[in-house]
Amino acid sequence: MEIYLPVAEMSVHWLVIVGLGGVVGFVSGMFGVGGGFLLTPLLVFYGIPSTVAVATTLSHVTASSMSGALAQWRRRAIDFTMAGVMLAGGIAGTVVGVWLFALMRRQGQMDLTVGATYVLLLGTIGTIMLRESLVSLRSAHAGQPVRARAINRAWMASLPLKMRFRQSRLYISVIPPMGLGFVIGALGAIMGIGGGFIMVPAMIYLLRMPTSVVMGTSLAQIIGVTAITTVLQATSNYAVDIVLALFLIVGGVVGAQIGVRISGRLRGEQLRLLLAIVVLAVCGGLLWGLIARPADVYSLSLEEQ
Amino acid sequence: MKRIAVSLLLLTIVPFAWPARAEDLVSGVSQDVIQITSNYTGTSIVVFGAIERPLGSEGRDIVVVVRGPDTDLTVRRRERIAGVWVNSDAARLVGMPSYYYMASTRPLEAIAAPADLTRYGIGEQHLVPQQIVSHHDPRPFQKAAIRHLERLNLYTEAPGSIDFLSETLFRTRVPVPAGVTRGQYNVEVYLFRGGQVVSAQSTPLFIDQTGLERRLFNFARDAPFWYGLAAVAMSILLGWISSVLFRRPA
Repeated sequence: MEIYLPVAEMSVHWLVIVGLGGVVGFVSGMFGVGGGFLLTPLLVFYGIPSTVAVATTLSHVTASSMSGALAQWRRRAIDFTMAGVMLAGGIAGTVVGVWLFALMRRQGQMDLTVGATYVLLLGTIGTIMLRESLVSLRSAHAGQPVRARAINRAWMASLPLKMRFRQSRLYISVIPPMGLGFVIGALGAIMGIGGGFIMVPAMIYLLRMPTSVVMGTSLAQIIGVTAITTVLQATSNYAVDIVLALFLIVGGVVGAQIGVRISGRLRGEQLRLLLAIVVLAVCGGLLWGLIARPADVYSLSLEEQ
Repeated sequence: MKRIAVSLLLLTIVPFAWPARAEDLVSGVSQDVIQITSNYTGTSIVVFGAIERPLGSEGRDIVVVVRGPDTDLTVRRRERIAGVWVNSDAARLVGMPSYYYMASTRPLEAIAAPADLTRYGIGEQHLVPQQIVSHHDPRPFQKAAIRHLERLNLYTEAPGSIDFLSETLFRTRVPVPAGVTRGQYNVEVYLFRGGQVVSAQSTPLFIDQTGLERRLFNFARDAPFWYGLAAVAMSILLGWISSVLFRRPA
């Protein structure tokens, strides 16, 4: 059965949308990421206008983060103070991101901006993950423990505006978490991602948060940022399609549960290797789209008067 | 604007050029409203008509044109810069029909001279935008726009697709694809004789969203803040429900 998307103004097959949501939900449940980085490109490949794809994916991320955050909250694994500080930075980043988004859209460079940002980000993160998982797989074979790379944080200790984060057992300046929130908020608005896959490593290695609270805290912060971005995208770009979101979420929550169950049977390094391959594959596809000769060098956009 | 100009032209020229007892035309459309519902995947309408006081089929042609509401088209040309394809030049075609269908008894070049076709906006190549904003030769951009719209089935030319049921009775089927804009469409039927328009009729056709789709679209446009909040509330609610439904026994 075809369904008509009132904001995208096009007909899609509901099974395709539920299926896309399901596949992305599966990946996000399996690897513990939001999956926005996969969903936006997949929707664009399917023919959804990139503005609608970016804005609507955020609703999917809100829903899957909510589901995950509730499970963490029951375990009391959320540092709400930290989430609040990061959210404050995230709101500012979101406002800047949505403004940039509207600017790029007017300039006709939307596809290039989204594509290039994706390629850079996914390429970097995919390569790092691939390297680390290969190294740890090899040392697991050799029977040696893996040492986490230490990041020099001396500069962080000298920053002002220190604050106590009880649950994370940290006493640090609010500037790094706010800055992190800002960057990820801006990226989220442009790319339609929650940013969990950047934020989680940054919180562990940069902020030195205990691993037990990292997941829950990043999910709580993502709910806040994606919720605000959704409202901003709806008001400034009219790009949120609620019917599309509904079908994506329904597929997503089911896929996520299957993913969570399967991930329990795989080892951490194997999971990270798989995720690295998925990330690099998406990156490769997007890169091809940017450098391959287009079928038609002219493109058309219709605007209502 | 253009549509009104054409109608005025028809009103003034036709009666003077062809006083009483001239060949004339009556036409109609199978429906005057198309409702876009949740399972709308495109439809088609039938345009039909009859020739009154016929003067024989030799040198006589019928052209049916359906125009959608005017829109602005932005055409961009990509160029390879440092290995990456980047949008570089653009042209803006102001006031082009968002949908265009042309059916005729014969190929257009056999029916009338280009200047006459341009005057009535008959044929994709003879459509003239109200205004062109471009720093370059706009012709390749305009051609590209038509090519894209044809690919989307929004622009179609179907010469030779008018069926005559008798000497004077004709009809043609006009497809209306899924991607059409909402608004007022115009169905125009032209009767040509010897390369000149001798009679023409125009009938409006309305395409509109209906039911839930309409309400959601209006909601998104009229109250975007509350619409955004509703989307967030829906996501949070569904996330919460799923976490309760799939909660694993501790």
